[in-house]
Amino acid sequence: MTTAPQTASVPAKTEPVDPVYRQIRDLVYKVSGIYKADEKLYLLADGCVRRMKVMGAKSPRDYWDYLTANPSRDGELRQLLNEITIGETCLFRSQPQLDAVRKVILPEIVVEKTKQITKRLRIWSAGCSTGEESYTLAMNMMEESERLLKGWTVEILATDLNDRSVETAKAGIYGDYALRNTTDYYKRKYFTTLDEKKLQVRPEVKKLITFSRLNLQDDSKMLFMKGMDLIFCCNVLIYFDGSSKAKVVNHYYTNLNFGGYFFLGTSESLLNLNDKFHLVHFPGSIAYWKPSLSSGKL
Amino acid sequence: MTTTSFTATIQDRVSRIDTMPSIPAVFLPLLELLNLPPENVKLDEVVKLVSYDNTIAAQCLRVASSPLFGLAKTPESIKGAVISLGLRRVETILLTCCLGSAFPSKNWALDPTIFWRHSLGCAMVCRKFSEKLAAPDTDKAYMAGLLHDIGFPVNCMVFPKEFAIATANATQAQIPLDEAERATMGFSHCETGRALAEKWHLANDLIQVIAFHHTPELCESAKPLVAMVHLSDLLCRMRNMGYGYYESRKVDLANNPAWAILLQEYRALEGIDLVRFTFELDEAAAEVFHLVSTIFGAGAAAGKS
Repeated sequence: MTTAPQTASVPAKTEPVDPVYRQIRDLVYKVSGIYKADEKLYLLADGCVRRMKVMGAKSPRDYWDYLTANPSRDGELRQLLNEITIGETCLFRSQPQLDAVRKVILPEIVVEKTKQITKRLRIWSAGCSTGEESYTLAMNMMEESERLLKGWTVEILATDLNDRSVETAKAGIYGDYALRNTTDYYKRKYFTTLDEKKLQVRPEVKKLITFSRLNLQDDSKMLFMKGMDLIFCCNVLIYFDGSSKAKVVNHYYTNLNFGGYFFLGTSESLLNLNDKFHLVHFPGSIAYWKPSLSSGKL
Repeated sequence: MTTTSFTATIQDRVSRIDTMPSIPAVFLPLLELLNLPPENVKLDEVVKLVSYDNTIAAQCLRVASSPLFGLAKTPESIKGAVISLGLRRVETILLTCCLGSAFPSKNWALDPTIFWRHSLGCAMVCRKFSEKLAAPDTDKAYMAGLLHDIGFPVNCMVFPKEFAIATANATQAQIPLDEAERATMGFSHCETGRALAEKWHLANDLIQVIAFHHTPELCESAKPLVAMVHLSDLLCRMRNMGYGYYESRKVDLANNPAWAILLQEYRALEGIDLVRFTFELDEAAAEVFHLVSTIFGAGAAAGKS
């Protein structure tokens, strides 16, 4: 490994970024569907600079060659994707997604399912990592338990490939960083204090969630994940190549109920992996919808 | 109130619409300049036009020297601004300033900052849309987006009480504002906007946009342009440039009737990556917010994003 070149410094948020980073942004989007908007381009640049140091690239242009012309370019791109998506997880990471679920999607699903005399809601957090998203969803569903979801059974399945992540998730212990978006209201209602720096999710929240290890590429196991109303899969698809990604997405489509929704990370796109989903916009968020039988849009 | 008496009220108020804003003198000539190919626009003509209106010239310079544009040296004249920023950008700034000066925004039921963000945002999305579709007239699309909601300021000024109730109802029920207007007042900003557009003798395609941007299937002409504004308007409202309240709704753009109208005219629409388009729109929103803050003063800067 070469020593870090002096030229590779982290660009400040306000400085104009090297145009090469826009090229890298486009490449990253083409390969992974992750788009770093201009105001977040510094995060991409930041990740690139860290990788440049490791690889000994002297300039962004030099690093561009590593990503496009070098024989190990695919591996390097994977490393860069890791860099730019790492550490994004926290509880209540995307309020617009939660608003969409509670204000638009739940009322719709409740109407739809009440027609079928079913009062069961199934949510899958696929690639749940250390559980932040799963608990956020559970707490939000509990908030609705006296209103929209009164008398309903809510099941949240949270899966991850990594055993250690699943164990951490089960423990449900979080520090300040993971709780930076969590309001005092939620902290008081759904957590117990472990020590000055750590809070633990209360057992009644945990009861809603089943954590387990699952390899999304295991076709036989994926077949058993049927009957979902909502699937969340944030910054997970980047770990798959084109054809396996399409297969996983296809499983998601099959596993969703008609009228169900599929959410990706906030700056992530499905690109052209599946044309059966309808892309839908909610205020501040987007999702993929499997049209309901009654919508006439299948 | 019955439908008949509603109609009578609108007609009565619209007939007294002299109280409505008059178009700034430089607006229409500027609009004409915008319609010319850039190589035919004479820089001196723009400078001359703008110098007629000191307020607008001063505002334009203020915007041009904002940090957003990152100029090393603050331009001291309109000519300097045009040279530094480019003609099209300065025209955009000028037109926005002109419109802003037409509507003194006192006691509006709709926050003027929010209104201008939405209008400018929609203009910007229309321009992006028409660039992606290689439409022949991107500047027309920009103007259509900028002007589509001019009925709102008219409602604020001519029907202040009724419109205040409509906005309150929309906010409370989290429904589209035009629906709340129709339910509360029996008409919407589309009708009042049309009255102003006709009074201002705007081009017919712009009148169509103003009157039918919520019902593109009903418009009499300029259907693709109206459809483009309809979709851009929806997109803005879904991306933090709406009317300042949460609209509880889902928007399926590709299955919207306007999409089909636009697709008939532009096959390129089929290949558009809507998600990326959405992300790019978020980027441009930062510029819109900044522009609005700079043009409409310090109060605007404090507005919530």
